Amino acid sequence: MFFKPNFSLLDYAIRSLMRRFGKSFFIFLILSLLIFLLSSVLMIADAIKLELNTTLKTLPQITLQRFIAGKQSDIPVERVDSLLDIEGISAVTPRVWGYYYFKPAGVNFSIVGIDAYEEQYSPTLTLITQNFDMKLLSTQESMIVGEGVQKILAENYYTDFFNFVTSEGKWKRVHIAGVFHSDLALESNDLIILPKKLAYAIFGMDESRATDIVVKVANAKEIPTIVQKITTRYPDIRAITQDDIRVSYQNIFDYKSGFFLALFSVCAFAFFIIIYDKTSGLSSEEKKEIGILKAVGWSSDDILKEKFYESFILSLGAFLVGIAFSLFFVYGLQAPLLRNLFMGYSALKPSFMLPFSLDSSMLVLLFLLSVPIYIAATLIPAWKASTLDADEVMR
Amino acid sequence: MSLTPEIIALLTLDAIFLFLGLIALFASGRIALWWDNQKSTPLQYTLSKQSYLVSTIIKYIFMLKLPLFLFFIYTCDKLSSIIAGAMCASGVVNSVDFGLYLTLFKLLNLYLFGFWLLLHYTDINNEKLPYTRLKFALFVLFSLPLFAEIGLEIAFFVGLNISKIVSCCGTLFSATSSSYISLFFVVDELLWVGGFYGFFALSIVAFRLKNTPVMIFANSMFLIFSIISLIVFFSPYVYELPTHRCPFCLLQKEYYYVGYLLYTLLFAGTFYGIGGGALALLSKKAQPSFMKASICLNMLYLAIISSYPLIYYVKNGVWL
Repeated sequence: MFFKPNFSLLDYAIRSLMRRFGKSFFIFLILSLLIFLLSSVLMIADAIKLELNTTLKTLPQITLQRFIAGKQSDIPVERVDSLLDIEGISAVTPRVWGYYYFKPAGVNFSIVGIDAYEEQYSPTLTLITQNFDMKLLSTQESMIVGEGVQKILAENYYTDFFNFVTSEGKWKRVHIAGVFHSDLALESNDLIILPKKLAYAIFGMDESRATDIVVKVANAKEIPTIVQKITTRYPDIRAITQDDIRVSYQNIFDYKSGFFLALFSVCAFAFFIIIYDKTSGLSSEEKKEIGILKAVGWSSDDILKEKFYESFILSLGAFLVGIAFSLFFVYGLQAPLLRNLFMGYSALKPSFMLPFSLDSSMLVLLFLLSVPIYIAATLIPAWKASTLDADEVMR
Repeated sequence: MSLTPEIIALLTLDAIFLFLGLIALFASGRIALWWDNQKSTPLQYTLSKQSYLVSTIIKYIFMLKLPLFLFFIYTCDKLSSIIAGAMCASGVVNSVDFGLYLTLFKLLNLYLFGFWLLLHYTDINNEKLPYTRLKFALFVLFSLPLFAEIGLEIAFFVGLNISKIVSCCGTLFSATSSSYISLFFVVDELLWVGGFYGFFALSIVAFRLKNTPVMIFANSMFLIFSIISLIVFFSPYVYELPTHRCPFCLLQKEYYYVGYLLYTLLFAGTFYGIGGGALALLSKKAQPSFMKASICLNMLYLAIISSYPLIYYVKNGVWL
């Protein structure tokens, strides 16, 4: 009842926009560009969040790290047996892993030591142990590397072996037994898999210790209780659950896209000052038009309505165009340049497809951030124009 | 404070409302003081021009506030996934002391602005513009809850601490909690449900008798009793869980977003009843179309919400 659509007014508004094509088109272009940038950033953040959440499901339910004086340190392996006593825990795996800095390329490799006989804690690792002969790996002192690692090593002329420098400064020559490909590129591009013994030797770690311990729980609802039991038994242990990681991801991405949005607000504000200025300075022709309209019996309210239609059409059009372009840019072209904002520039960062995700709430959010704000900027100029006096402007 | 895109959108729009609202307040204060339709002075001429500006601003704010109310609840729902303990919007809303007042203010403003627009349309469709002074005086009054809401909303998002543990709706809406919501449970639920149906019946009687004051009264009470009986009695049937009584969880996907439909019907129905009634009293002219709309929407709400316990009883043979 408040807004009955008036199609003749709509028609008039469209024609009025077309008559001043140059001016409207400029505004339309800038507004679409702003919306395009904003929606691209939000879409990329959403897509990466989705990818990370998929990866998250493959992460261990609880990871136990030991902290001494606030620094992370290794956990004695004998704690594994005592952890198994806690009801509800179905599997406990001590992990040996870490980063190996490869100076010539300036990158970090993730090294994971695995044993042929123990149960693997992640599906990717399970797959790898099924496809490669792990026993052979440990007898021949060789390793399996991710695609990214292989590329970097090949660039430095290591095609079939690599010399690790251990913590004592000795060289450890390890053969490359194979390269694995994985769907979860984020997880495995920079990965090197070694027999546990070799990993201990390279890191210079005591074999009675592990980097951290991964706990599997039969019933996911018991995780908080089990965490409580573990931390009471070992106060020096910090337990990180899947949920903790999910929350911190969410915070990081909200923060990143929020930060961008704050920048966007500044841009938008500058843009709206331009809009305000442009729309309040009416050309003599426009003034004449309003005068004629008033003379033929239009009321201020009608002109206001017509101006509202104009800005609504313009901003909605820019909104739709901006969204369409950013859909193409993000999911069609995989967002070149912009995705680095979220991914970082590390040389070993994997290339992966942004999974398509677009929900209605995102569209509502983008709509609220564009169309009403534009209309607000044109509100007062439109009112000023509508209250011009017919006789004054006709003169 | 956490700056998610949703919160930034809400705050940006709040800033716009604040800016435009201040302009409208200033202008409407002048109009309320010096408006005189009989005069033809330059001042009167300026004022009549400004009245267009104020009404445009109010229309703009109201048209956005409708979807923004739902968007606010949605944002709270979304935030509940990163706040420990919260399972739906109610936990987030209650994580700040005045969260509930903020929601109530939002609702109150929708009613007030809606009523203002009703009055505005009656006014401009009358050649004599009989209510111009009144409506601008009313806006000066109504702008207080508007600014209160904006202030509360900003304070709400600033004070939102995502690392604080909050209660979920299961503890907030139960007889064991210490909040005043638990007082509803002290009284027998039949009283609330009886009141709910009773006041609806009263509004029909008032419609038949064309008694406007009773209509307003019946609708206001119907609104209050609907919300309480929804918490105390009806919601467990929607969730099919005897202990779950949250009015916010209705808005979630698991229940097919039925809450959006229910609340829209209820608020629109009672709005037409109360606002239309108040308008009829002011203009001394009956507003049968509003009353009809009110009765229809309320009846629809009543039918949908009553069908939940009935269907549950037919299926399972017991009451919860």
